[in-house]
Amino acid sequence: MAQEVSAIEMQSVEINSPWKEYCPAILAVVGAFGVLLWRLQTNSFMSDEAFMMVALACYILAALFQLTNLYAPSSMAQKISLATSTLGVFFNLSSWLVRWVAAYEREIGMLREAGNPATPWMFRYIPFANLYDLSLAFAFGAGFTTLIFVNRKNFRVLAAFTLPLAALILTLARFIGSEFIDLPPVLDSYWRPIHVGVASLSYGVTLVCFAVAVVYLLKDKVKPESMAIWASVFSIGVLATISNWSVFTEFTYRAGLFVPSPSGGKPISTPFRLAIPYVGEILAVSGILLFGVIIAFLLYTYRNNLQAKQIGHILLITAFVAQIFAVVFWVNGVKTKENILSNLQAQVQKHPQQLVNAGKDTIARQNLPAKEFSAITNAQFEQAGNQYLTNAGGQMFMSLKTNPVEFAGLLTAIAGLFFVILFGFRTEILLQRLPSLESLDNLMYKTACLAFAGLAMLLITGAIWANESWGRPWGFDSKETGALIAWLTYAAFLHTRISRGWSGRSSAYFAIIGFLLVIFTYLGVSYLLPGLHSYA
Amino acid sequence: MSTVNESVTEVAKPKPQIKRPSPPILNRVLNFLSSVKFGVVLLCVLVLLSLLGMLIIQQNVPGFDAFYAGLTPAEKTVYGTLGFFDIYYSWYFKVILLTLSLNIILASIDRFPSAWSYIVKPKMTATRKWLLAHKLNAEVSSYADDEQKLADRISGIFKKQGLKTKIAEKDGNLYVFGESGKWNRLGAYIVHVALLTLFLGHFVALQTGFDADVNFMPGQTTSEIQLIEFNLDEVDRFAVKLPFTITATDIQQKLIDPKGSIEVFNTLDWLTRIKIDDPEYGVNYANVSLNNPFNYRGYRFFQAQTVPVGNARTMNLELTPDTAGAKPVSVDLARVQEVKLPNGTTQVRSGSATLEDGTLIEYDSFLADFVFNKDGNPDTKTGEYNNPAVVLQVTPKDGERTRVFAFTGDFADKIPVGAPKLGYKWRLKSYEKSPLAHVLSIKYDPFNGAFIAWYFGGIGLIFALSFVFFLSHKRIWALIEKEEFSEKFNIVLGGHTNRNHFGFEDKFKKVVNDLSKS
Repeated sequence: MAQEVSAIEMQSVEINSPWKEYCPAILAVVGAFGVLLWRLQTNSFMSDEAFMMVALACYILAALFQLTNLYAPSSMAQKISLATSTLGVFFNLSSWLVRWVAAYEREIGMLREAGNPATPWMFRYIPFANLYDLSLAFAFGAGFTTLIFVNRKNFRVLAAFTLPLAALILTLARFIGSEFIDLPPVLDSYWRPIHVGVASLSYGVTLVCFAVAVVYLLKDKVKPESMAIWASVFSIGVLATISNWSVFTEFTYRAGLFVPSPSGGKPISTPFRLAIPYVGEILAVSGILLFGVIIAFLLYTYRNNLQAKQIGHILLITAFVAQIFAVVFWVNGVKTKENILSNLQAQVQKHPQQLVNAGKDTIARQNLPAKEFSAITNAQFEQAGNQYLTNAGGQMFMSLKTNPVEFAGLLTAIAGLFFVILFGFRTEILLQRLPSLESLDNLMYKTACLAFAGLAMLLITGAIWANESWGRPWGFDSKETGALIAWLTYAAFLHTRISRGWSGRSSAYFAIIGFLLVIFTYLGVSYLLPGLHSYA
Repeated sequence: MSTVNESVTEVAKPKPQIKRPSPPILNRVLNFLSSVKFGVVLLCVLVLLSLLGMLIIQQNVPGFDAFYAGLTPAEKTVYGTLGFFDIYYSWYFKVILLTLSLNIILASIDRFPSAWSYIVKPKMTATRKWLLAHKLNAEVSSYADDEQKLADRISGIFKKQGLKTKIAEKDGNLYVFGESGKWNRLGAYIVHVALLTLFLGHFVALQTGFDADVNFMPGQTTSEIQLIEFNLDEVDRFAVKLPFTITATDIQQKLIDPKGSIEVFNTLDWLTRIKIDDPEYGVNYANVSLNNPFNYRGYRFFQAQTVPVGNARTMNLELTPDTAGAKPVSVDLARVQEVKLPNGTTQVRSGSATLEDGTLIEYDSFLADFVFNKDGNPDTKTGEYNNPAVVLQVTPKDGERTRVFAFTGDFADKIPVGAPKLGYKWRLKSYEKSPLAHVLSIKYDPFNGAFIAWYFGGIGLIFALSFVFFLSHKRIWALIEKEEFSEKFNIVLGGHTNRNHFGFEDKFKKVVNDLSKS
């Protein structure tokens, strides 16, 4: 029989064999389980932290090749990127699995040393106990999702945006610290792997949805300069709030201090902070430059002032470089700082209010009734602060892990500035390489649906677990509320899309807001707000 | 709030403008209440209020007292008047939740008929123009003996892709219609039913039940529990009478290092064994531990907290007779009184022991950091195990009941209270650490509202969302057109799915490929 086919709009569809499409993801996962088996056979093995660092290096390398491939397409760069991102996912998952075994061996060692014959069940040690564990899983979720779509011709380019984000999460994990926590008994439930596993996967999906939304906006001809305005606002917000608002008010950055934990576990944060030279000054300058960026790009956006555009780009790059220098000084300051106690004493002598604040923090931890608390005078608070300094001052030390949220905020701000600088560079070439608006919109919708279902599972498994543990499924704890807010935002996103026909840009803005709320729930709530999830 | 989203409609013919009378006000109100726009606005308001509640520390959250004390009088007045310290239980939060529920119900009622029509009255025929207006469309030429045979062949190809097929005829043309997942159109309504179940169950649990605490030391019996109510910086407690009595028969703290502290970081689990004496249902025993609550007549008992003052659950005493050459005697004592064993039997450990010479030893109390207080009575200075001692009541055969102290360590040899008494030197050889008391949290939920809300509503919601988002309603139409004076047929294909466009594109392409090859 003779045939004649005229298919319309079918050219972009590619049928790949599922095996070829999912091969890297499958290989990475199977390989990691192979490592787990190997680890179970031997004691001398790479630590989970070493695996994490290798994974981070792989993600960074893969991201660099993907970014290069954006501007100078090359099949070699693509292959190297695919190989390194597969390795990244492999090492990332290996790190998580090896950590599981290490946590088990650590506690069994402690039990046997104490003469305790108890052998708790293995799920007690599943690495879903703190933010470090969750970050490993979160980055794996993002890397794994990337591997799933990286072989789809239309979406390959998105890896250039998701892989740097996965690398950013692992960098953050590095600063949170890989110390094991002594698991609070309430977390020893089979609901923990279910609840936290769902959290990490759905957070990974929201990250991909966010990346797609940003790419959509770029493709939809949103000017990189407009994006730079928002990135600068975010960055200024971060700079203004870190170090208890001291960057803009005092041109000083003070980092937190630790004292060792009596149990030998993760060190304990103290209510004191110590200034690191140059960091505050550089960050303040960077903030001022970013104000300039906002003004210049507003002039360009609303008055089409091309000179302002040029100045804005110069200021943007300068602010970006300044922030990199600030991080270098920060790291160097933390690593080389000596004589903590004498430096701190000199500092509080100049600023006695810091003793009062530290005293307030110390007394607030005692959960005194409000009437008793308000009856305490400033002199008494100062005395309490002094007492703390006298008792614990000698043990205080600096670490890059004392302020993970601030560090995460700064790194995110730097990443944001980096991307807007990148988007401003040869934008037309970049736009050509991006998938069509329709494809991006479809992918954004699909990932938002997955995120919505995932966040619903997160809320419900959490509520059922809370009902089993605390006798109340829902208590408006800050983490619960944060997750609910993110879920409601995605609900609003999907409903506007289904029924109001809002797609494209409106959807992209919703997806970005949803992701920011997820990140706030993930990090901000744990460190900034009181509640039952302070360990996570 | 969901609606049927059909991306392709018939091309509208210009219609003469007809001036319609505006609908009655009730209809307009109902239309507004059932609109998705209104639903989205309510969601956004909920998001904002929840954000506010997250940023302003709520009155039942630890740390509220310090936060409240730090506010200015004006802030306290404004926040308090607006209900910001207890925002999630404020009248306006409840009104918004109720309005959202109403919106969900009305929107579902409004949109259900059109979704139902996909199930009962599927669109099986369509014009060429309508088919070609779809994003996924194709035209394939094919030869066949007759239209029916070609329709059967197309039907077979559709079935290969998992579609259920029907052949229809309209205006002399033959159509093959294939679809799968039509029930997916009702997914949004199942989601809404699950959500309403969740809201309703939670509401019933809140309205008919309560939360309370009860403090237990081993041997303590109570038929009253403490209901807690927060009122800004005041915590009020009300006693609630239970229809049964509860006795704590044992409390246990499983430690990682039994010699270590009783802090949380050294703990594997806490267990409270209770006995319920119910005039209606008799005696029941239960173990309550973390993540393992116990249900009884609408009451759920949870292991909540401990009173972390050092104590002992079991003790081993070494009694050395003060007669020369006599061997020390080992005596086990327990603080517990009655334990229900896993095999169903009850073990009674009365906290006492009798020696061979007839001396009765009774447990009195355990003091972790022994000291005589200002009244001269034995007491504990701190909750730490700095100087542990057990206080005993000892009754020798034919003797008087006398108080005796048993200390640990050799230092007891050097203090007066460590001297031999009633014919023995009393030493505390070892002991199992436990806290002074456990706090059980009791949740009363007579209608199992929370269970219905989260297990039926919540798990139902997960399944419904999976059903909605991971499945889709896929439809392909084939219009068979015969070319004049030849055996050649022209097949016009159009395809549509409500979700997963990428997957459906692959499927559609396979259909076209198969048709081209056949």
